[in-house]
Amino acid sequence: MSGKPPIGRPDLNRLRVMFRKDGRLAYLGHLEVINTIGRSIRRAQLPFSVGNGFAQRMRIQFSQALPVGAASRAEYVDIYLTERIDADEALRRFAEASPSAMAPVDAAYVQSRMPALEAWLTRSRWQVRLLGTGEGFTASRLDAVLDALREVGSIDFMRGDKPRTIGLDTTLVSWDAADGVAEGPFSTIDLRLETRSSNLGALRPAVLLEAAFKREELEGCLLDSLRVERVGQWHEDEDGTLIDPMAFDLRV
Amino acid sequence: MRLERRDRFHELEPLLGKVLHPARYLDHEWGAVEEQDGPFQVCMIYADTYEVGQPNLGIAILYNSLNAAEGISCERAYLPWTDMSALMRERGVPLLSLESSSPVASFDIVGFTLAHEMVATNIIETLDLAGIAVRAADRDEDDPIIIAGGPSAWNCEPLVPMFDAVLLGDGEEEIVDVARCVRDARDEGASREEILLRLSRIESIYVPSLYDIVIDDESTRWGYAVPREGTGAPEIVYKRCIPSLADTEPVAQRMVPYMGIVQDRFAIEVLRGCARGCRFCQAGMTYRPVRERPAQQVIEAVGEGLAMTGYDECSLSSLSTTDHSQCAEILTALNKKARESGVRVSIPSQRLDSFGVDMASAVSGARRGGLTFAPEAGTQRLRDVINKNVTEDDLYRAARNAFEHGWRRMKLYYMMGLPTETDEDIVAITDTARRVLEIGREICGRSRKGKNGVSVTISVAVFVPKCYTPFQWVGQLERDEVRRRQQLLLTSNKDRDIHISYHDSDVSVIEGALSKMGRAGFEVVLGAWQRGCRFDAWSSEFDYESWTEAGKAAGYDLEEVATEAFDLDAHLPWDHTSPGVSKGFLKREWRRAVAGVTTPDCTMTSCTGCGVCPTLGVDNQIAGDRHVG
Ligand code: SF4
Repeated sequence: MSGKPPIGRPDLNRLRVMFRKDGRLAYLGHLEVINTIGRSIRRAQLPFSVGNGFAQRMRIQFSQALPVGAASRAEYVDIYLTERIDADEALRRFAEASPSAMAPVDAAYVQSRMPALEAWLTRSRWQVRLLGTGEGFTASRLDAVLDALREVGSIDFMRGDKPRTIGLDTTLVSWDAADGVAEGPFSTIDLRLETRSSNLGALRPAVLLEAAFKREELEGCLLDSLRVERVGQWHEDEDGTLIDPMAFDLRV
Repeated sequence: MRLERRDRFHELEPLLGKVLHPARYLDHEWGAVEEQDGPFQVCMIYADTYEVGQPNLGIAILYNSLNAAEGISCERAYLPWTDMSALMRERGVPLLSLESSSPVASFDIVGFTLAHEMVATNIIETLDLAGIAVRAADRDEDDPIIIAGGPSAWNCEPLVPMFDAVLLGDGEEEIVDVARCVRDARDEGASREEILLRLSRIESIYVPSLYDIVIDDESTRWGYAVPREGTGAPEIVYKRCIPSLADTEPVAQRMVPYMGIVQDRFAIEVLRGCARGCRFCQAGMTYRPVRERPAQQVIEAVGEGLAMTGYDECSLSSLSTTDHSQCAEILTALNKKARESGVRVSIPSQRLDSFGVDMASAVSGARRGGLTFAPEAGTQRLRDVINKNVTEDDLYRAARNAFEHGWRRMKLYYMMGLPTETDEDIVAITDTARRVLEIGREICGRSRKGKNGVSVTISVAVFVPKCYTPFQWVGQLERDEVRRRQQLLLTSNKDRDIHISYHDSDVSVIEGALSKMGRAGFEVVLGAWQRGCRFDAWSSEFDYESWTEAGKAAGYDLEEVATEAFDLDAHLPWDHTSPGVSKGFLKREWRRAVAGVTTPDCTMTSCTGCGVCPTLGVDNQIAGDRHVG
């Protein structure tokens, strides 16, 4: 449903919408999110623009795919409208036509000549709760293991049945781990994670943590499950400043 | 034992990260009825995965009817895929409904759709996962009442040991009658036995436990069902038939799934029933008479449905959409709307004539994928036997028309193993395909290596005789012979632009056996499930060996069961659950078939005496004028 950026179409209005994805809908895949948002836009009867191709796709662009199972407080979609309706009015209509667990929370028109969201939003902040068991299932041990991983510099992992490698020196920015309260049979660790994506890929929290629990320092520990939430996304400019995608000076 | 009704999603949630397609288990779709305060609770189940079951229009209709009824709520459940059910069993989580995440075993009524024969073991699996006794006879007083209905209910005997009641025919009103009856009886403190008795007094409700199976000289080896004395249960239960589709809610499908499902679009039922009279077709016999939804209602409902769901595609669904007397009018109006909003319109099947092609080009816009026709048999002789009233010339004219309209790929559906079929009929299939290909090359130009893109695909299913058709007495073709004819078909094709695919003859044997067996056949189904069979409609999961072993253990050779012919005068295992079509008519049609005499469509000529209208007190409801071809 998402089309190519209609660069050079100043006649279209680029409405940026920030939305949440939480509760059960954390388990939707990216394609499912795209379909759901597309249908919400149709139900809201926003004056969306349609591509020229055969398939007549709606012109929308999303920020980087969230992993299945991850919730988010800050996802973004740019919708190209043929008519500039009031942004608050568009937000209201969009919200009414959306499932509550995928509700839009903010909307504004932004400059049409900016790059597409997916490549532009390079920084993510994650809040992760790890549930597991074992003696060494503690924040301090995890801390040490993440340090060791960074030392190694990269992680090999499987995406489906394909082997992949991701470098950590650019993608893993920082973290902060703390022991959490126990949940039933499980001990918990709360991890705040800052990641950076590039055209070489994005680091997914699950990939990092699975690699961590494969290391011998954490032998005897079982990572049962993760609760992952993206809490923010930004553009990082050359001097390291983080720019909020809804920032006032991007609006038009 | 009835489980307690409470939200148990927190038990399922930790499993979501460990299974394929967690979106199958999420619920909270747009349009789902979230308030489920009953107090009377029904759960409707399509015993396959979410993405297969959710598009089912029948369940959508019943869901709306029940949720609209005062004091009654209806939820849905599907069968979790094997990865999820294994985890659920491991952690002691029973099958939950979608809307409230309550145990299915906590509901007042649990209803199953009998969509096709191959869903049999999945129903056992569903009951077992829910923690409900598989056999109706083993259920406790307060257990849910388990009901079933749907297109494949006409020979439900091999499955009825699981059901407290079976609903025959159109379900939208019937299901509410059943729910009210159970509710009132429960309120009065009636016993389970009394509830079943009361259900049997409702029109079109078959309560299997009130019937004995009698095997005698007039029956087949499966016997026939006779109402037990003193129960007052009817000798023959006739289907429910709503007189007019126009009086039903046209916007049935209001729910928008998150995950990609089979048929991911807004569907509207534009007509019910088909009277073309193809002699192999069970739906054609059991959904009579024909009831059309008027054009204006269809057009308005599509607008409403698309706005409500946000879908960008709508499908005009029915057994034969292009037979609708106002088909052209509907498509013209919808296409006008569609062009304005980037919406696509689709029709599931088209007639094998130029009108069909015109309609197909009306809906396809600029896109020309493949076009499908169903000649069903290779020669005119055999097409007359099966009453497929199309000629070779019809097909060639339609193909010519389609190529001229820009289509390049043609798909032709056939059946193998039809009564009276010979090798000549098989070879004629490729002859026909070759002629169609020739026409295509003539119009689109000849080029080496198929550069013009013209190709023909032949898809061949194995004919399975179904009850309540004129072919209900015949035996299915033996497996080895099916394979020989498949081979013959393959070798008769020399052209690289003709592709041939055919169905697995093993699956057809099991489907055939399930279509023939009586109540005793349940032991086979149960045995197959115990041997691990489930998701039999998925070729990745189907396990022929386990089925045949289960058959052997129960004392049957399933291939022999499927291929056995019944005597024309025999008392049949399904005579007591009737869609209204008379046995006299079916016999007459059988004799005409053998003689190669065709019978016209009663909506285009006059009544051909199938018996449905006088028996059920209904009539064909045609919105405009129908005429031949
Ligand atoms: S009774 Fe006559 S009119 Fe009615 S469906 Fe049968 S053949 Fe058609």
